[in-house]
Amino acid sequence: MAERTVRVESEVGLHARPAATFVQTASKAPIDVTLSKAGGAPVSAKSILAVLALDVRHGEQITLRAEGEGAEELLDELSRIVSETK
Amino acid sequence: MTVVVAPVGGAVVGLANVPDPVFAQAMVGPGTAIEPDREPGEAVSPIDGKIIKLHPHAYVVVGDDGRGVLVHLGIDTVQLKGEGFRLLAAEGDRVSAGQPVVAWDPAAIEAAGRSPVCPVVALDAQAGALSDVQESGQVTRGAELFRWE
Repeated sequence: MAERTVRVESEVGLHARPAATFVQTASKAPIDVTLSKAGGAPVSAKSILAVLALDVRHGEQITLRAEGEGAEELLDELSRIVSETK
Repeated sequence: MTVVVAPVGGAVVGLANVPDPVFAQAMVGPGTAIEPDREPGEAVSPIDGKIIKLHPHAYVVVGDDGRGVLVHLGIDTVQLKGEGFRLLAAEGDRVSAGQPVVAWDPAAIEAAGRSPVCPVVALDAQAGALSDVQESGQVTRGAELFRWE
């Protein structure tokens, strides 16, 4: 199980462009990947509905988890997206 | 099958004409967009369901079958931080299609230098899942906009 906890740097949080880019990237992966807020239940990173409903704000931490081939690389890429300020 | 209705009245322009590539390239999902009439009005729910996310400038309603529809009131309107929007419902409320959710004034959004165009997006919908999608013409608030098979 690969796991990362990252801070969301986008000013609008994980909404709009960052959310769409995040979900699109996750959806291309053949393995399951989730995100969660501290103490919250994990939701699928491949669902724009789930990601928007999670309502991650600027400065909040999220934990990404994935298992399987390419998990580390996938989490690297997703971490990079949420670390972008735009 | 879900019938999605127009959250606002105006001219249907299609997603491709939304001045934001995230919507225009259907990255958020398939759907359409409406240039709202430039008069103060109330944006309504596009489907029967529960408001699972309510921001002043955008909301998501999820039907009993789990399908979620996003209504975005204008582009880059998150930066207005709620100014010019008034909530008429609360997160977690059950609403019917056509029920008012947010009061706003598209002309004021435009005067503030932003596009008031309203993308209406089927979240997590597969390409081809929508039918009878309006891409042009006038639409009245609450009239059918597209079908989600």
